[in-house]
Amino acid sequence: MVIISRGYRVLLILSVLALLIVLYYLIDPMGQKWFPKCPFYGITGYKCPGCGSQRAVHQLLHFNFTGALQENALLIISLPYILLAFLFDYAGFKTRWPKARKVLFGFNAIVIVLLIVIGWWIMRNLFAW
Amino acid sequence: MEYHYNDGVTNYGPFTLEQLKQQPINRNTQIWYTGLPAWKPAYEIPELASLFGSPPAQGPPPVRQAYAQSPVQGQAVPKTWLLESILVTIFCCLPFGIAGIVFASRVESRFYAGDVNGAVQASHEAGKWTKIGFWLGMAGVIIYLILVFIIGVGEFAFFKNGNNF
Repeated sequence: MVIISRGYRVLLILSVLALLIVLYYLIDPMGQKWFPKCPFYGITGYKCPGCGSQRAVHQLLHFNFTGALQENALLIISLPYILLAFLFDYAGFKTRWPKARKVLFGFNAIVIVLLIVIGWWIMRNLFAW
Repeated sequence: MEYHYNDGVTNYGPFTLEQLKQQPINRNTQIWYTGLPAWKPAYEIPELASLFGSPPAQGPPPVRQAYAQSPVQGQAVPKTWLLESILVTIFCCLPFGIAGIVFASRVESRFYAGDVNGAVQASHEAGKWTKIGFWLGMAGVIIYLILVFIIGVGEFAFFKNGNNF
């Protein structure tokens, strides 16, 4: 892989992120042909755990929480957890609070998260969530 | 006996004692061999002491000594790639993401069982599969955009089911 200094890599990732936020704020993925579609849904007709994420992000950026939850509730609910995980991994939280890390992201947490994702996957197809 | 050393970034090994002595190690290089409860600087390993001359003047014990009891305390868990592999699982490439999650859990269990070396290896594996999944997903998106914009294939039968995601 190309070696880029750490600072530039962070800058690159942040600017891509900013670009995506602007894009998903301005354009509603609903009905746009060129937003990537879910291959799993395309083939099977069943939603995957991530289906609706692009529309959910669009709604969230417009502060429409109800709409966002309707598109993909799991994504919206787990955003704080995802953010926390980034802080633990990249902002040095894991050395500062190793015990909290073990509880939140340790082996048991991994199993629970996996079960939640699979459960969500089944339930949303059963009940059209 | 199999020896490993760590240059601060990567683990190397296993080596025999003779091989290890040929490696670019210095007195503070972290060394570990099977049965040792924690990594130790090379000068604390009796077999290697001859490489570095006389021991340092008596002072306060090196900080790492305090952790020798338990490799878990004081050493950070190697990166587990848990979050990244879950995101990859959900958003793009299930098999690669799952492989990442399995290795992530292995990092956890090995680390807390005291097998720091094994945990670091599992961390490398987790990272590898997560990255493969991520870049495959990226490639998929780019190929899709090329198909739509340049070739103008807007409606595959494949995607006729609707516009989810």
